[in-house]
Amino acid sequence: MDFRTLLLHEFVFLDGGMGTMLHLKPGELPERLNLTEPERVAAVHRAYAEAGSQIVYTNTFGANPLKLAGTGVDAAESITAAVKLAKAAVGEQVCVALDIGPTGQLLPPAGQMTFEAAYDSFRVMCEAGAKAGADLIVIETMSDLLETKAALLAAKESTTLPVLVTMTFTENGRTFTGCPISAAAMTLEGLGAAAIGINCSLGPKEILPMMQEMSGWTGLPLIAKANAGLPDPVTGEYYLTPEDFAAYMPQFAECGVQFFGGCCGSTPDFIRAVREKLKYLRRGRRNTQKPAAVCSGTRTVLLDMPRIIGERINPTGKKRMKQALLDHDFDYLRGEAISQTDAGADILDVNVGTPGIDEAKVLPEAVQAILEVTDLPLQLDSSDPAALEAALRIYPGKPIVNSVNGKAESLETVLPLVKHYGAAIVGLTLDENGIPTSAAERFAIGKRILDRAQALGIPKEDVFLDCLTLTASTGENGPVETLHAVRRVHEELGLQTVLGVSNISFGLPNRPLINRNFLCMALQNGLTLPIMNPMAEGMTDTVRAFRMLAGFDPNCENFIAAYQDSGNAPAAPAPKNENLTLESAVIRGLRQDAARLTQEALKDHAALDIVNEMLIPALDTVGADYESGKVFLPQLIQAATAAQSAFGVIKQNMAAQDGGSADKGKIVLATVQGDVHDIGKNIVRLLLENYGYDVIDLGKDVPPQKIVDAAIEHQVSLVGLSALMTTTVGAMEETIKLLHQQYPACKTVVGGAVLTADYAEKIRADCYAKDAKATVDYAKTIFGE
Amino acid sequence: MNPNDLDRAQILACVNMPVSEGLLAEMLEECIKELCKAAQPRTIYRVLPVEHTKNGVRLGGLPLLGKDIALHLSGCREAVLLGATLSASVDALIRRSSVADMTKMIMYNGIANAAIEHVCNALEAEIKAKYPYPYYTERFSAGYGDFPLTQQGELVGLLDAARKIGLTVTPSQMLLPMKSVTAIMGMSHEPVKDARRICYAGSCEECPYHDDCKIRK
Repeated sequence: MDFRTLLLHEFVFLDGGMGTMLHLKPGELPERLNLTEPERVAAVHRAYAEAGSQIVYTNTFGANPLKLAGTGVDAAESITAAVKLAKAAVGEQVCVALDIGPTGQLLPPAGQMTFEAAYDSFRVMCEAGAKAGADLIVIETMSDLLETKAALLAAKESTTLPVLVTMTFTENGRTFTGCPISAAAMTLEGLGAAAIGINCSLGPKEILPMMQEMSGWTGLPLIAKANAGLPDPVTGEYYLTPEDFAAYMPQFAECGVQFFGGCCGSTPDFIRAVREKLKYLRRGRRNTQKPAAVCSGTRTVLLDMPRIIGERINPTGKKRMKQALLDHDFDYLRGEAISQTDAGADILDVNVGTPGIDEAKVLPEAVQAILEVTDLPLQLDSSDPAALEAALRIYPGKPIVNSVNGKAESLETVLPLVKHYGAAIVGLTLDENGIPTSAAERFAIGKRILDRAQALGIPKEDVFLDCLTLTASTGENGPVETLHAVRRVHEELGLQTVLGVSNISFGLPNRPLINRNFLCMALQNGLTLPIMNPMAEGMTDTVRAFRMLAGFDPNCENFIAAYQDSGNAPAAPAPKNENLTLESAVIRGLRQDAARLTQEALKDHAALDIVNEMLIPALDTVGADYESGKVFLPQLIQAATAAQSAFGVIKQNMAAQDGGSADKGKIVLATVQGDVHDIGKNIVRLLLENYGYDVIDLGKDVPPQKIVDAAIEHQVSLVGLSALMTTTVGAMEETIKLLHQQYPACKTVVGGAVLTADYAEKIRADCYAKDAKATVDYAKTIFGE
Repeated sequence: MNPNDLDRAQILACVNMPVSEGLLAEMLEECIKELCKAAQPRTIYRVLPVEHTKNGVRLGGLPLLGKDIALHLSGCREAVLLGATLSASVDALIRRSSVADMTKMIMYNGIANAAIEHVCNALEAEIKAKYPYPYYTERFSAGYGDFPLTQQGELVGLLDAARKIGLTVTPSQMLLPMKSVTAIMGMSHEPVKDARRICYAGSCEECPYHDDCKIRK
């Protein structure tokens, strides 16, 4: 039967557990059976078809090339056999779904597998399944939203088959990787799944409330495939009987579920019982009004009140950010992401456009780096469609794209991307004729953008309009026209409205005052998504106060939570110790004081003198105390981070003066391929930076050639390598070998828990460092004091 | 997790802090609270048959490599294979702190090591209460002695831990989420005299017995 015909049925019945029915012996690989014992698998399909399953899942849950590597079973061969045997077993009246499970590895930020590797493995599966004649594709038991996206995109881009997607949630309503139901629903719907739902992990009782929640987040048909209860921890057996299981199903029908099946522990009798139970019932009505929202892989932000879009990750007018991008210094971006998150941003804008930067390469890298340290949804900001697409592919969740405008070319290139990847879009109300002066003309362009987006199938709630803030100094009616346009878009079109707030004050004195007032006026006129600096004084405060006064903060709860400690009794300022020197601030680990004293010192000292005469002697003192056991690691790190904040001030100062460097030499640092533990490496980096070295930190799990390439590109004299496990020291040896072949002038220093001086010598490292301090000492011998 | 369940002395050892007073101690308490809030500890175990063969020992049909694990299970007819993780959210907390505040990074790291140890201890107690064996060998993990780390993936597979508790293995046999453990305990009616001495669940580098340990790698 055709899947589209099945969709017309009130209920569609899937199958139940495959593993349960195959009675696997220890060590037996289910995917091998498709080739070696096809009849054993076919018998299971027949049993389900006889029980009334209208869709059966092929025995290919683990037939992923990545999972089958080393087993001697070829994924495509197993899949081809599985689809063919299933079709032969169930006949024309039952649909055969190619079953796809997770790879068993994690993608960023939780893991290291690349999006491309996951995508390619799923594409192999989809192509083989489609070619063998599968009627549809099912992606199931997924936990990682980005991996699910890779599978769904692979299915959509390499076949024309409908795709069903179910993820697996734990009792707290999130997957193992922290993905909430809302984020799963909006992301998968946006990416074009034909139906979505929940399978595995828990029994029907536990899944029911989650299903009810999911129902409110999507207009798609819903799928429920619960386990037969929870497994007994001793025997591993599931305890629900078919009748117990089926007893829950009317409630699932009531919340609108259309596809019914079972997962672990369920058998054909479960399907029979479910069919019987639902025989005279109908699906409950679904609420068709979905909430407006965006999400990352682990957090959903509802757009039900003004939300702050942090603007700091953008090089325009920010020399330090520009420098960081040119230097590939993603830690600076990560730091800005953390500061804005802590300051109250709800969404972060990410723009890396600056001369000398290949946006299509750097934007996705920046997005990935930022998502390592924040769970806020992102707004991908670029005028380069290739960069937008590259970032949209690897973004876990539903992002905002900033932006499209009323020009024909922009509409034609950007909107199809937004549709394909299920994003929300910011439309700028300008076109070939520039920015109209009147609100009416801007409104008209906005309306045109909305119409075009909707014609492509982009839902109205995902179109946001930016009516453009013009500098107040260019004409006295400018701000009023902008506000008027915002009001009309908000009231007449009912759309989210976006404004870059601080443009208003460009070229005028007392900008913060203007920005705060304009923000307040704009919010009152219907601005819902201010793009602003959440750290700027009074800005976040204004939004919080507005939310409270405008009725978005029941019982003033959030407002009170934000200010209860600072409200009536402002904290007494820390007593200023007039005698505190920069050296003692560093030794005592006082970060803010170290930064402040550096700022003061820069007035009458050269940057290099501050480094050599104040910071380094202080660090030497702490280092010596650490070695003699007078202070311990936490104090050492406290001092080092205080020194780092001093270095931050010096770098800021140098970037502002366009040039100069306090660096004593460049060092490439990496945790070797296969190794994901980077705490030790991070401590080494901190200390090296403290001593004035420019560290190019390549991160963790870095392939040997990439390390060598970086060493050559930056012409460094020293490479530091870290490995924590016995399984990865081989990669360290390989890296050193490559380095000796391609760049023999470079020295190597190695460290990590499993290394010893002997082993370091064996793999021909130049130095074994037992700790971070020893690495610094060795660097001194290479670069001189 | 309840912050009060964690052993402060063990945390101080893991973080390498000699005393529990002053500003750093306050910071440590904050970090303990944050980490306990983030952690979603999950555990799984299976009691599996042990077969001793000429070539070594098999657990639930899986051949385990090396002499040490065979000695550790000598005389046992059953053993328990367990898996435990603090969840991906703890990794996220540590990752974030590595940029925001390195002092917190080493604190979170040490607290997490103590916390996963606590989770394993609690699971061990639960198992011991459920099965009436008078003797259990200590928790022995891949990477201890000559029991190779390269079997980590097979152990995780035997537990179906990716599906059951979200515990995965990288191609280089590292557990992800990072603060996770798999281990095997022999179950016996007699004392297992050849049982191996077990080291700390975290890395050797972070182990409180680092300095005087005989089996340090």
